[in-house]
Amino acid sequence: MREPPKHRISADAVKAWKITASIYIGILWLIAIIAGIIIWFFAWPLWIIIAAIVINIVCTYLFIVLLPKKRWERWRYEVFEQEIYIQHGILILSQTLVPMIRVQHVDTKQGPILKKFHLASVTISTAATTHEIPALDEENAYELRDRISRLARVDEDDV
Amino acid sequence: MSKVRRLHPAAILFQFFKLLKGWVIYLLIGLITIKGEGLIYYSLLVLLFIFVLLTISILKWYRFTYQIGEDEFRIEYGIFIRKKRYISKHRIQSIDLSANPIHQIFHLVKVEIETAGSGTDTEASLQAVKLAEGEKIRERFKGSSIQEEQPKQKPASKNITNKDLLLAGATSGSTGVILALLAAVFSEIEQIIPDHFYDQTVAWLIGLSVTYIILLAAAVLIFIWILGIVGTVLKYWNFTITKTENELVITRGLLVKKHATIPLKRIQAVGIKESIIRQPLGYVAVFAEVAGSSLDNGEDFSTLLFPIMKKGEVKRFLQHFLPDYTIPEERLTTIPKRGIKYYLFRGSVLFFILAGGSMFFIPKYSWLFILLLVISVYFGYLRSKDCGFHIKGERVVIQFRVLSKMTVLLYKKRIQSMENKQHFLQRKEQLATVKISIIAREGSANYKLKELDEADTNILSDWYSFQNNR
Repeated sequence: MREPPKHRISADAVKAWKITASIYIGILWLIAIIAGIIIWFFAWPLWIIIAAIVINIVCTYLFIVLLPKKRWERWRYEVFEQEIYIQHGILILSQTLVPMIRVQHVDTKQGPILKKFHLASVTISTAATTHEIPALDEENAYELRDRISRLARVDEDDV
Repeated sequence: MSKVRRLHPAAILFQFFKLLKGWVIYLLIGLITIKGEGLIYYSLLVLLFIFVLLTISILKWYRFTYQIGEDEFRIEYGIFIRKKRYISKHRIQSIDLSANPIHQIFHLVKVEIETAGSGTDTEASLQAVKLAEGEKIRERFKGSSIQEEQPKQKPASKNITNKDLLLAGATSGSTGVILALLAAVFSEIEQIIPDHFYDQTVAWLIGLSVTYIILLAAAVLIFIWILGIVGTVLKYWNFTITKTENELVITRGLLVKKHATIPLKRIQAVGIKESIIRQPLGYVAVFAEVAGSSLDNGEDFSTLLFPIMKKGEVKRFLQHFLPDYTIPEERLTTIPKRGIKYYLFRGSVLFFILAGGSMFFIPKYSWLFILLLVISVYFGYLRSKDCGFHIKGERVVIQFRVLSKMTVLLYKKRIQSMENKQHFLQRKEQLATVKISIIAREGSANYKLKELDEADTNILSDWYSFQNNR
């Protein structure tokens, strides 16, 4: 693989991801508790409840404690004059090159959780693919969006 | 600005049949199931219904107008809500003419106007106009705005021979598709067939001996195979590809005549496809990925440039029609030996589980699953052998196999993005996967070269990257 890109995304990304994951994991626990009550009520075998609790604990650890940090460590990006270079992925490390002349449009977006931390994501679309750089500092994201948009000029020869 | 025109009245018929098609099966079911006095009322109702459909068709025809402007093509349509669509001449990418048998009787054509939009719908389609009118529209709004000179020498052109056409049919492998179609048709008809008839047939089938059933199955398969040949022959009848200055023109078809124009500058990639049946015979199909064309909707994901030819002819063919896309015949950089096991694993893991499960649960049939397992391992091996690439200047040749072996030629400037991937097992063995994305008919196409040597994937991304100093 190539040398990783220089820039990291905002350190607050980890917090934002942890909160997002907590919501999903919370729903998972809720389902497990309701299922547990039903199982208890009908006197079905107890091992199902135990298995569910074990799975939930493992998920909680993985998705809230371990993965956001790992994911952040892997996330890198760099924007050159002529191309955008992105790296991400925990188990599968992925490095993507997007030439500027192929970029069709750039968006920024911000959900409620990202907003709380003053973060925003940048989405880069080509005619065939889309690429996202998640959770940058707001100003950084807007500046990046404007810069890419300036640098991206559609090739005359293009479709 | 020319005057406002309507379609040929035959368009009413097409509209009517299109509307009727959706309802006909229910109407028929009603006719069969309703008995006695009810039938008379029902028939009246059906007649009324048909009358309504006909009225709608006539109104639609009456309210659909088109106009050929100086620099744009205008259509207006809609019975109650008027819709207007103006298509600028410069936006028009291609104009396809086609004629089904009814068109041919009246000397009409269907005109489909395409713009660069990524959607699969045609921008404007005229159901039926006079042939001369259709050709006039085509001349008027032809592809690019560049004035086209009459080519001095005869334009390059290639026709399919009858022998090749038959061979294409025999090796098309469309048997599976037809089986599925028959099953679909049967599931519709099944509702109409009386129950006792159905039961008798099943009883009769069960009563037959194994030999008969095998013979019957063989007969059905051969019948389907012949259907496949007939289908291919009808579809690719008189397949002709012609090159004009900046377009390729393809005409084909016996019952439904298709006429398609491919502007050269919209071609994203050119490739050859060797299906598992054709490969041993040395035959291939040549295809192109074209941005935003909707010809052959849903039939195939790329545009066929020629349905069948000897592998040895491809070079000459491309030199003739697409000299920029002549595929260099050089040795490809293939995957290292240590990558093969991943292919074998991916290809066979599902069948491995199935085979194991079948031995446990239905030992009687485990031979079938073991056979499938062997085939899948073999395919995995073939895939690993057929994966590779070769860089030549601004072009790259890539080769891979899913079922058919594909060899694709791409220009650097046509590649929308390139991604190198590596999972933790690959990292230990210095292997990596490359994903190349380009524009294709359905928006995008991805080509994956899995388990290349990591150093080779770096060569590819260095070639693609503008940052050479890494």
